[in-house]
Amino acid sequence: MTRPRAARRPQRLTIVLADWCPHCVPLSELHGRRLARLLGIPLRRLDIDRRAQERVADRLVREHGDASPDYLIPQVFVEFDDGTVQHILTGFSEEVARTARAWRDLLASDWLRSIRREAGR
Amino acid sequence: MRRSRALPPRIRSALRPASARCYRHCKKPVSAWTLATSLPGLWQVYACPGGAVSVTSYAHWSPVDPTPAVRAYLRRHTWPGSLVTLRDLRVATRHGPELGRSVERFLARGRPRRAVRVVYWRVYPFRARNGSEQRLFVCQRHGRSRPVFFPSLATSDRWDCPVCTGRVSAPPRRVR
Repeated sequence: MTRPRAARRPQRLTIVLADWCPHCVPLSELHGRRLARLLGIPLRRLDIDRRAQERVADRLVREHGDASPDYLIPQVFVEFDDGTVQHILTGFSEEVARTARAWRDLLASDWLRSIRREAGR
Repeated sequence: MRRSRALPPRIRSALRPASARCYRHCKKPVSAWTLATSLPGLWQVYACPGGAVSVTSYAHWSPVDPTPAVRAYLRRHTWPGSLVTLRDLRVATRHGPELGRSVERFLARGRPRRAVRVVYWRVYPFRARNGSEQRLFVCQRHGRSRPVFFPSLATSDRWDCPVCTGRVSAPPRRVR
């Protein structure tokens, strides 16, 4: 019997990024670590410039994220223990400061509050 | 709002950048120029005073990927149209939590729940066949419904517009 959707727990946070991307490093990496800590889950980093990681990233983006031939980064995903994956953030192409604001809003969101409550944190 | 894909003002406000600067050109502040088109969403062109385009974005409130419609529109308004490639069109989904609590709660109340889809068109500076570095410019002098996008030398300004210089005729006027 599967656990009811409302009781699912986050299992891992994944960020698809590249070292040369100012939206990604250090901005999203720092905020991603904070988010992972708040959720009590590990952070996985998928670097699109490393071939093996790129393959995993491409599949994750294609199946759950914002897929384009040259897709935007960073893209952030939460993986749950029931196998579901939730895409939660894609960087803002307009400017780095807008991506930073998105992270601040995400960390103050109702969504995060409810996920932490469900996970008992 | 009359159309389900149009963007309410609070979402438009949440999507705006604070202080974008001209990308890889003059570093001056860019202005957001809103286009008037037959598409229901919000078109913004971020360009510096010299007309160099940092990025163009189209956002609508719908789960449907607007990329095909965006591409078709841009090809009609770009010389040459072949400059608009799928590789330079990138989609982003805005779910709500990353847009601030007010918009998050607004989007959460929607039935059915819909995210905001944004398509960005960013053409990175490139080398033309003659070896010169070129980048994308926009001429705004033909009205908000008839932007003219064109490549030119990275140091040129909007006077190089192919319509202004008579090389091509202006795109047809399309209004909502």
